[in-house]
Amino acid sequence: MTPRLADDELLITRDFDAPASLLFTLWSDPKHFRNWMGPEGFDCPEAEIDFRVGGRYRGMIRSSTHGDSWFGGEYREIAPPTRLVFTWIWDTGPAGEVETLITINFREHSDGKTTMKFHQSPFLSIERRDSHIGGWSSLFNKLRGYAEKLAREQTR
Amino acid sequence: MPPTDALSTTLAALADPTRRAILQRLSRGEAGVNELAAPFAISLPAVSRHLKVLESAGLISRGRDAQWRPCRLETSALKDVDQWLEYYRRFWTGSFNKMESYIGTLKKKKE
Repeated sequence: MTPRLADDELLITRDFDAPASLLFTLWSDPKHFRNWMGPEGFDCPEAEIDFRVGGRYRGMIRSSTHGDSWFGGEYREIAPPTRLVFTWIWDTGPAGEVETLITINFREHSDGKTTMKFHQSPFLSIERRDSHIGGWSSLFNKLRGYAEKLAREQTR
Repeated sequence: MPPTDALSTTLAALADPTRRAILQRLSRGEAGVNELAAPFAISLPAVSRHLKVLESAGLISRGRDAQWRPCRLETSALKDVDQWLEYYRRFWTGSFNKMESYIGTLKKKKE
Protein backbone atom coordinates (compact mmCIF):
# COMPACT_ATOMS: atom_id res chain seq x y z
CA MET A 1 0.00 0.00 0.00
CA THR A 2 1.31 3.41 -0.87
CA PRO A 3 0.70 6.09 1.77
CA ARG A 4 -0.63 9.22 0.18
CA LEU A 5 -0.67 12.80 1.39
CA ALA A 6 -3.42 15.30 0.81
CA ASP A 7 -3.00 17.16 -2.45
CA ASP A 8 -4.98 20.11 -1.23
CA GLU A 9 -6.93 21.75 1.52
CA LEU A 10 -10.52 20.75 1.01
CA LEU A 11 -11.98 22.20 -2.17
CA ILE A 12 -15.09 20.71 -3.74
CA THR A 13 -16.57 22.18 -6.91
CA ARG A 14 -20.00 21.01 -7.89
CA ASP A 15 -22.59 22.00 -10.51
CA PHE A 16 -26.26 22.00 -9.59
CA ASP A 17 -29.25 22.31 -11.87
CA ALA A 18 -30.69 25.15 -9.77
CA PRO A 19 -30.36 28.92 -9.47
CA ALA A 20 -27.85 30.38 -6.99
CA SER A 21 -30.64 31.90 -4.90
CA LEU A 22 -32.12 28.44 -4.23
CA LEU A 23 -28.73 26.96 -3.30
CA PHE A 24 -28.14 29.86 -0.94
CA THR A 25 -31.50 29.18 0.72
CA LEU A 26 -30.65 25.49 1.16
CA TRP A 27 -27.80 26.61 3.42
CA SER A 28 -29.64 29.38 5.25
CA ASP A 29 -33.16 28.05 5.89
CA PRO A 30 -33.29 25.31 8.57
CA LYS A 31 -36.38 23.76 6.93
CA HIS A 32 -34.29 23.06 3.82
CA PHE A 33 -31.01 22.47 5.66
CA ARG A 34 -32.46 19.47 7.54
CA ASN A 35 -33.38 17.83 4.26
CA TRP A 36 -29.88 17.45 2.85
CA MET A 37 -27.31 17.83 5.64
CA GLY A 38 -25.28 14.70 6.28
CA PRO A 39 -24.16 11.91 3.96
CA GLU A 40 -26.24 8.88 2.96
CA GLY A 41 -27.48 7.01 6.05
CA PHE A 42 -27.69 10.16 8.16
CA ASP A 43 -30.70 12.30 9.06
CA CYS A 44 -30.53 15.85 10.32
CA PRO A 45 -33.28 16.09 12.96
CA GLU A 46 -31.95 19.29 14.56
CA ALA A 47 -30.99 22.58 12.94
CA GLU A 48 -31.19 26.07 14.39
CA ILE A 49 -29.93 28.96 12.31
CA ASP A 50 -29.50 32.60 13.31
CA PHE A 51 -28.72 33.82 9.82
CA ARG A 52 -26.84 37.09 10.25
CA VAL A 53 -23.16 38.00 10.45
CA GLY A 54 -22.03 37.08 13.95
CA GLY A 55 -25.10 34.84 14.37
CA ARG A 56 -24.67 31.17 15.18
CA TYR A 57 -26.08 27.93 13.90
CA ARG A 58 -26.29 24.56 15.55
CA GLY A 59 -27.36 21.18 14.27
CA MET A 60 -27.20 17.45 14.75
CA ILE A 61 -26.99 14.53 12.37
CA ARG A 62 -28.07 11.04 13.38
CA SER A 63 -27.40 7.56 12.04
CA SER A 64 -28.22 4.09 13.35
CA THR A 65 -24.53 3.12 13.38
CA HIS A 66 -22.85 6.39 14.43
CA GLY A 67 -25.46 7.83 16.81
CA ASP A 68 -25.88 11.58 17.22
CA SER A 69 -23.22 14.09 16.16
CA TRP A 70 -23.64 17.76 17.04
CA PHE A 71 -21.97 20.58 15.17
CA GLY A 72 -22.16 24.35 15.03
CA GLY A 73 -20.46 27.57 14.13
CA GLU A 74 -20.74 31.27 13.44
CA TYR A 75 -21.57 33.21 10.29
CA ARG A 76 -18.76 35.51 9.12
CA GLU A 77 -19.89 36.79 5.72
CA ILE A 78 -23.33 36.68 4.15
CA ALA A 79 -23.67 37.98 0.59
CA PRO A 80 -26.69 36.38 -1.09
CA PRO A 81 -26.69 34.73 -3.52
CA THR A 82 -22.97 34.61 -4.25
CA ARG A 83 -20.93 34.13 -1.11
CA LEU A 84 -21.25 32.58 2.34
CA VAL A 85 -18.53 32.25 5.00
CA PHE A 86 -18.91 30.53 8.36
CA THR A 87 -16.97 28.55 10.93
CA TRP A 88 -17.67 24.86 11.54
CA ILE A 89 -16.81 22.63 14.47
CA TRP A 90 -18.03 19.24 15.73
CA ASP A 91 -18.83 18.90 19.44
CA THR A 92 -17.04 15.57 19.29
CA GLY A 93 -16.42 13.37 16.33
CA PRO A 94 -14.05 11.52 14.07
CA ALA A 95 -12.83 14.78 12.54
CA GLY A 96 -11.77 16.12 15.93
CA GLU A 97 -12.61 19.30 17.71
CA VAL A 98 -10.72 21.52 15.30
CA GLU A 99 -12.52 24.66 14.24
CA THR A 100 -12.59 25.13 10.49
CA LEU A 101 -13.56 27.94 8.15
CA ILE A 102 -15.95 27.21 5.30
CA THR A 103 -16.19 29.54 2.32
CA ILE A 104 -18.80 28.88 -0.35
CA ASN A 105 -19.06 30.76 -3.63
CA PHE A 106 -22.05 30.37 -5.91
CA ARG A 107 -21.81 31.29 -9.58
CA GLU A 108 -24.96 31.11 -11.64
CA HIS A 109 -24.65 30.50 -15.38
CA SER A 110 -26.84 31.75 -18.20
CA ASP A 111 -28.55 28.35 -18.48
CA GLY A 112 -29.76 28.64 -14.86
CA LYS A 113 -27.29 26.10 -13.50
CA THR A 114 -25.00 27.09 -10.65
CA THR A 115 -21.44 26.15 -9.79
CA MET A 116 -20.88 25.85 -6.05
CA LYS A 117 -17.30 26.15 -4.89
CA PHE A 118 -16.91 24.80 -1.38
CA HIS A 119 -13.70 25.44 0.53
CA GLN A 120 -12.83 24.28 4.04
CA SER A 121 -9.60 24.73 5.95
CA PRO A 122 -8.43 24.68 9.56
CA PHE A 123 -9.23 27.91 11.30
CA LEU A 124 -7.16 28.51 14.39
CA SER A 125 -7.55 32.24 14.77
CA ILE A 126 -8.82 35.26 12.88
CA GLU A 127 -5.36 36.73 12.37
CA ARG A 128 -4.16 33.57 10.71
CA ARG A 129 -7.09 33.19 8.38
CA ASP A 130 -5.51 34.98 5.44
CA SER A 131 -2.35 32.94 5.65
CA HIS A 132 -4.46 29.79 5.46
CA ILE A 133 -6.22 30.62 2.27
CA GLY A 134 -3.95 29.79 -0.59
CA GLY A 135 -1.15 28.74 1.71
CA TRP A 136 -1.95 25.13 2.30
CA SER A 137 -2.42 23.82 -1.18
CA SER A 138 1.06 24.67 -2.39
CA LEU A 139 2.54 23.12 0.73
CA PHE A 140 0.70 19.86 0.23
CA ASN A 141 1.47 19.80 -3.47
CA LYS A 142 5.14 20.09 -2.76
CA LEU A 143 5.16 17.67 0.14
CA ARG A 144 3.30 15.03 -1.82
CA GLY A 145 6.26 14.35 -4.07
CA TYR A 146 8.53 13.99 -1.10
CA ALA A 147 6.15 11.68 0.76
CA GLU A 148 5.70 9.47 -2.27
CA LYS A 149 9.44 9.21 -2.64
CA LEU A 150 9.75 8.26 1.04
CA ALA A 151 6.97 5.72 0.72
CA ARG A 152 8.73 4.08 -2.21
CA GLU A 153 11.94 3.92 -0.22
CA GLN A 154 10.20 2.41 2.80
CA THR A 155 8.42 -0.31 0.86
CA ARG A 156 11.57 -1.27 -0.99
CA MET B 1 -8.44 27.40 24.95
CA PRO B 2 -5.10 26.04 23.70
CA PRO B 3 -5.35 23.00 21.45
CA THR B 4 -4.36 19.78 23.19
CA ASP B 5 -4.97 16.91 20.78
CA ALA B 6 -2.27 15.86 18.31
CA LEU B 7 -4.15 17.03 15.23
CA SER B 8 -4.73 20.52 16.65
CA THR B 9 -1.07 20.74 17.55
CA THR B 10 -0.09 19.77 14.00
CA LEU B 11 -2.54 22.23 12.44
CA ALA B 12 -1.40 25.03 14.77
CA ALA B 13 2.20 24.33 13.79
CA LEU B 14 1.24 24.51 10.11
CA ALA B 15 -0.69 27.75 10.59
CA ASP B 16 2.37 29.93 10.09
CA PRO B 17 3.86 30.93 6.73
CA THR B 18 7.47 30.77 7.96
CA ARG B 19 7.01 27.27 9.32
CA ARG B 20 5.34 26.13 6.11
CA ALA B 21 8.25 27.57 4.15
CA ILE B 22 10.67 25.66 6.38
CA LEU B 23 8.76 22.45 5.69
CA GLN B 24 8.86 23.14 1.97
CA ARG B 25 12.61 23.57 2.14
CA LEU B 26 12.91 20.29 4.08
CA SER B 27 10.85 18.49 1.45
CA ARG B 28 13.94 18.82 -0.75
CA GLY B 29 16.14 17.11 1.86
CA GLU B 30 17.53 17.66 5.34
CA ALA B 31 19.12 20.96 6.35
CA GLY B 32 20.71 22.68 9.35
CA VAL B 33 19.46 25.77 11.19
CA ASN B 34 21.76 28.20 9.35
CA GLU B 35 20.63 26.98 5.98
CA LEU B 36 16.98 27.08 7.00
CA ALA B 37 17.32 30.61 8.36
CA ALA B 38 19.02 32.00 5.24
CA PRO B 39 15.91 32.93 3.20
CA PHE B 40 14.19 34.71 6.11
CA ALA B 41 14.70 38.18 7.53
CA ILE B 42 14.49 36.82 11.07
CA SER B 43 17.09 35.93 13.66
CA LEU B 44 18.54 32.48 14.26
CA PRO B 45 16.86 32.21 17.69
CA ALA B 46 13.51 32.99 16.00
CA VAL B 47 14.11 30.21 13.48
CA SER B 48 15.07 27.89 16.35
CA ARG B 49 11.76 28.66 18.04
CA HIS B 50 9.89 27.76 14.85
CA LEU B 51 11.86 24.51 14.65
CA LYS B 52 10.92 23.68 18.24
CA VAL B 53 7.24 24.12 17.39
CA LEU B 54 7.60 21.90 14.32
CA GLU B 55 9.53 19.29 16.29
CA SER B 56 7.05 19.13 19.17
CA ALA B 57 4.23 18.74 16.61
CA GLY B 58 6.11 15.76 15.16
CA LEU B 59 6.46 17.44 11.76
CA ILE B 60 10.25 17.36 11.81
CA SER B 61 12.94 15.44 13.64
CA ARG B 62 16.47 16.59 14.42
CA GLY B 63 19.68 14.61 14.30
CA ARG B 64 21.25 13.89 17.70
CA ASP B 65 24.73 12.93 16.58
CA ALA B 66 25.94 15.56 14.18
CA GLN B 67 26.88 18.89 15.73
CA TRP B 68 24.71 20.84 13.27
CA ARG B 69 21.68 18.70 14.21
CA PRO B 70 20.14 18.49 10.74
CA CYS B 71 16.37 18.76 10.50
CA ARG B 72 14.35 16.35 8.43
CA LEU B 73 10.70 16.19 7.49
CA GLU B 74 8.50 13.61 9.22
CA THR B 75 5.47 12.67 7.17
CA SER B 76 3.36 10.74 9.67
CA ALA B 77 1.87 13.87 11.25
CA LEU B 78 0.98 15.10 7.77
CA LYS B 79 -0.77 11.83 7.08
CA ASP B 80 -3.06 12.54 10.05
CA VAL B 81 -3.92 15.88 8.43
CA ASP B 82 -4.59 14.01 5.20
CA GLN B 83 -7.00 11.59 6.91
CA TRP B 84 -8.77 14.48 8.59
CA LEU B 85 -9.27 16.22 5.24
CA GLU B 86 -10.40 12.93 3.67
CA TYR B 87 -13.05 12.51 6.35
CA TYR B 88 -14.49 15.93 5.52
CA ARG B 89 -14.25 15.28 1.77
CA ARG B 90 -16.41 12.17 2.14
CA PHE B 91 -18.79 13.93 4.52
CA TRP B 92 -19.47 16.85 2.18
CA THR B 93 -19.50 14.82 -1.02
CA GLY B 94 -22.20 12.64 0.55
CA SER B 95 -24.14 15.68 1.75
CA PHE B 96 -23.99 17.33 -1.67
CA ASN B 97 -25.30 14.13 -3.28
CA LYS B 98 -28.29 14.45 -0.99
CA MET B 99 -28.56 18.15 -1.77
CA GLU B 100 -28.76 17.29 -5.47
CA SER B 101 -31.59 14.79 -5.03
CA TYR B 102 -33.38 17.19 -2.66
CA ILE B 103 -33.28 19.88 -5.37
CA GLY B 104 -34.86 17.31 -7.68
CA THR B 105 -37.65 16.75 -5.14
CA LEU B 106 -38.26 20.51 -4.82
CA LYS B 107 -38.55 20.84 -8.60
CA LYS B 108 -41.06 18.02 -8.87
CA LYS B 109 -43.19 19.67 -6.17
CA LYS B 110 -43.17 22.89 -8.16
CA GLU B 111 -44.33 21.21 -11.37
